[in-house]
Amino acid sequence: MALTTQRVDVPVIVDESKCLEKCQACIEVCPLDVLVKNPETGKAYMKYDECWFCLPCEKECPTNAITVQIPFLLR
Amino acid sequence: MYDDINDELNPWVEMLQSSAVEDRLVAVKTLQHMGDEEAIVPLIQALEDEDTSVKKIAITAIWELTNPIAVKPLMACLRSPDAEVREEALSALKELVAPADLLILLDAIEEDNFYMQLNVLILLRKIHDAQALPYVLPFFESEREELREAAITTLRYLNQVETCPPALALINDSSAVVRREATLTLGYLKDEEVIELLCEALTDDPDWQVRRNAAQSIALHKDTSAISWLKKALSDEHWQVRKFTARTLQEIADDSVIPALVKCLTDEYSDIRRDAAIALGNIGNPEVLSVLQQTLDDPDADVRIFSQRAIDKIRQQQTTVNQ
Amino acid sequence: MTNTQHLKTDVLVVGGGTAGTMAAIKAKQANSEAEVLILEKANIRRSGAIAMGMDGVNTAVIPGNSTPEQYVREITIANDGILNQKAVYQTGKLGYEVIQELDSWGVKFQKDTYGNYDLKQVHRVGKYVLPMPEGKDLKKILARQVKRHKAKVTNRVMAIRVMVKDCRAIGAVGFDVRNGDFVVIQAKAVILCTGACGRLGLPESGYLYGTYENPTNAGDGYSMAYHAGAELTNIECFQINPLIKDYNGPACAYVASPFGAYTANAEGHRFVSCDYWSGQMMLEIWKELNSGKGPIQLKMTHLDEDTISEIESILWSNERPSRERFHQNRGENYRTHGVEMHISEIGLCSGHSASGVWVNEKAETTVPGLYAAGDMASVPHNYMIGAFVFGRLAGTNAMEYVQDVSHLEPDADWLAAEKARIYQPLQNPDGIPHTQVEYKLRRIVNDYLQPPKNTHKMDIALNKFVNYHDTLNLMGARDPHELMRCMEVHFIRDCAEMAARASLYRKESRWGLYHYRLDYPEKNNQEWFCHVNLKQENEQMTLFKRSVEPYIVDVNLETEVYDVKVTSK
Ligand SMILES: Cc1cc2nc3c(=O)[nH]c(=O)nc-3n(C[C@H](O)[C@H](O)[C@H](O)COP(=O)(O)OP(=O)(O)OC[C@H]3O[C@@H](n4cnc5c(N)ncnc54)[C@H](O)[C@@H]3O)c2cc1C
Ligand code: SF4
Ligand code: SF4
Repeated sequence: MALTTQRVDVPVIVDESKCLEKCQACIEVCPLDVLVKNPETGKAYMKYDECWFCLPCEKECPTNAITVQIPFLLR
Repeated sequence: MYDDINDELNPWVEMLQSSAVEDRLVAVKTLQHMGDEEAIVPLIQALEDEDTSVKKIAITAIWELTNPIAVKPLMACLRSPDAEVREEALSALKELVAPADLLILLDAIEEDNFYMQLNVLILLRKIHDAQALPYVLPFFESEREELREAAITTLRYLNQVETCPPALALINDSSAVVRREATLTLGYLKDEEVIELLCEALTDDPDWQVRRNAAQSIALHKDTSAISWLKKALSDEHWQVRKFTARTLQEIADDSVIPALVKCLTDEYSDIRRDAAIALGNIGNPEVLSVLQQTLDDPDADVRIFSQRAIDKIRQQQTTVNQ
Repeated sequence: MTNTQHLKTDVLVVGGGTAGTMAAIKAKQANSEAEVLILEKANIRRSGAIAMGMDGVNTAVIPGNSTPEQYVREITIANDGILNQKAVYQTGKLGYEVIQELDSWGVKFQKDTYGNYDLKQVHRVGKYVLPMPEGKDLKKILARQVKRHKAKVTNRVMAIRVMVKDCRAIGAVGFDVRNGDFVVIQAKAVILCTGACGRLGLPESGYLYGTYENPTNAGDGYSMAYHAGAELTNIECFQINPLIKDYNGPACAYVASPFGAYTANAEGHRFVSCDYWSGQMMLEIWKELNSGKGPIQLKMTHLDEDTISEIESILWSNERPSRERFHQNRGENYRTHGVEMHISEIGLCSGHSASGVWVNEKAETTVPGLYAAGDMASVPHNYMIGAFVFGRLAGTNAMEYVQDVSHLEPDADWLAAEKARIYQPLQNPDGIPHTQVEYKLRRIVNDYLQPPKNTHKMDIALNKFVNYHDTLNLMGARDPHELMRCMEVHFIRDCAEMAARASLYRKESRWGLYHYRLDYPEKNNQEWFCHVNLKQENEQMTLFKRSVEPYIVDVNLETEVYDVKVTSK
């Protein structure tokens, strides 16, 4: 089956300049398990667009690197 | 440094001593998530960290461990110049302080530090102990309105205190914020002058929130000598004063307020129409039946329902009287 | 290829949310020697409905404010008489102890100046709502207690099936959603606490995860219990809630109404007398929305600055804190705008309505060794306190049960077949993505199953759900995370089929909008004053009537009709 790469607006934005490479806090707490580390940069990002806009990731980040937006379709 | 700490914790405890703030942040966050009680001592040490974020996370981590040995070190954070640190420490202490900590609190309140005094006044509300009264009283005369407000609020949480003459003056404080709290506190005091002071506040205070709070406090006293003042307050210019006055009149009222309550049945605010209907039902005079009947097609469902109940109540009383 | 992990425990708790953490704690309190393991798909620190805390207890029965008997009466009337009163009574009776215990662990409930619980009236009669303006740390506090009680926790493992042998539950299988390991856990008793089926209907926004419920709760436990042979009940009594339009979280009339806010129509007038969520209330809301007086709103514009700021400070730090940015994005403000409200997608959840796995007053399902608690167990209107109470009962009773039983070896063939079934999407990484398969399934739910219910439409729905097995086989997954979502779609399909069959079976209308049938618009107590239960029998979904247990609290349903809309006579 053919797969396309479709652009979507993802709700979670990580400020890479603030994200700490040794930290895992947001990834550990997300109930939907949608955040991961980019193995190349060591920075967190939203890998899957499956977000309940519940905010634990943002609240637990020690450097305020995360901003959760309301998913576009609901905004 | 901490020999008795287990292997799982050790790397993070060591990292907490790092000179790089990034590492200390990761370490304190990880220790928070691990939630291991053995980490309490290094975490308490981290309260001294020069970085505010590390400090804040350390407070949260300690809070989550709920160990009473943390009360004193956390109290020290209450005088921090950083608002977020103070706030987090206050939240933690609201959960941690127990009646046994009264002496620590009373000690701290005597320290000449505004933030410490304010926060301890708030924490005393968790303990409800009248022994704190002599320590609270001096703040009624404080220069700072925040401290006067906090002190008069705390007074109503000291449950054994029944009369408190120095508190009464605050109902005429220059600051409206202080008067609002004083009015509420007077709902719990039994000094002789209280009802009169509340009635004056109800009708004469320039701040509507003070007037509203007075109506609420009078409801706690259920003193019928207030009825004529309440009647006057039913035509207050602010709707919330009218609403809470009508509510108080549901508890104490007599035929003299009927005309004023009937007028409220056409008030612009549905809450007042409803609360007046309930009050009329409680008074029970069948003469109001026909006006109540007219409110049964009110556009607001609550007004219709409570009017119908008031009507039913008056009719029921009529039949029992007739029998 | 796939690594298999074998674990063994005495009591296995599946799902570490509200009910699950409490079940584990109580099981450990009952016997600290025995082993208790929580299996959690996410991380118990922040999982489930109360991931960000809660802004109030909806069903607190506190001495001096209400009694367990009054509470049972209120729920009996609100649930149109169909309930096991003995089970509901437990929530009324044990709720106070639960609140006191939570209080001693540091959960902050609102108290008055005397230090007493400060309850508010939101229900028709009686005060049951206990605000928690500082309730945001609830889940962290529970996680800490789990640790203190030395219950084990395995995070990021999703359970897929309960293992059954000799007609009793003997463990569960699942997989690690990060590394893909197959996980087999043997246990002497299993407690299912996986929450609601929140991904049944599709939210009108079209965003799959923009649901009312935490979307991790996809009906996993409903499906697992069904496949284990347990009975389920009241599935036709859907969950539908009045919510902030598009945002799909509670507008929070419970929080705001004690401050003077209320639900109103577009003209600003109240049209229901009571903000307590019930099917009857939802029917009125549905009617108002479809009348010329919709849309509806939570009205606060008449309140003053201080009151509104206080409401905001509660709503924006607790439960669904992203409400704040939702309103900001739209340039809306409580001072100037009513909060537009709408009705949610359908779901299954006994916490709010009544659908669930059949349990008795001991939290036992109909399968020995299998317990259920929380939103997935059939105790109506149970909310958070009911989840705690039934978690507690399940934990205590399961621990007692395991004293006399031993572990049983699972059947090797069954394990192999189950493993092959679960991992199949990974063999087919270019298969249809789970998002598309799920979207279509849930769109069918909306098109054909949403109340008002229509028989012809539901027949079509049922047919489509049954045939959807073939569509599920087309799904592909590229990693364990996607595999988790694929397995959730399986659970959603099972729930959809149950919902269609149960709705077709009950040939009357009941519970207001929750089961409003256009071809049988009236309530028919003569034939349908009973539960509709279902279970798997010879690979078939079988439905049957189960009579309502004799009442222990007298309620006259003829005279005490649940009435949220008293109109003038
Ligand atoms: C937005 C919202 C607001 C609410 N407001 C209130 C309120 O104000 N007052 C009130 O009393 N009640 C309220 N409720 C209801 C109350 O929160 C719930 O009834 C209660 O929390 C349900 O608890 P539970 O344990 O059944 O589910 P949850 O707490 O959701 O726990 C389910 C757990 O199971 C896990 N899980 C799911 N599937 C699997 C699987 N296959 N394998 C392993 N783990 C799994 C999940 O990750 C989750 O941790 C609200 C609910 C919601 C959603
Ligand atoms: S908002 Fe919630 S679901 Fe979304 S990424 Fe953060 S923690 Fe995960
Ligand atoms: S919590 Fe913050 S710092 Fe840590 S990984 Fe996530 S984004 Fe980076």
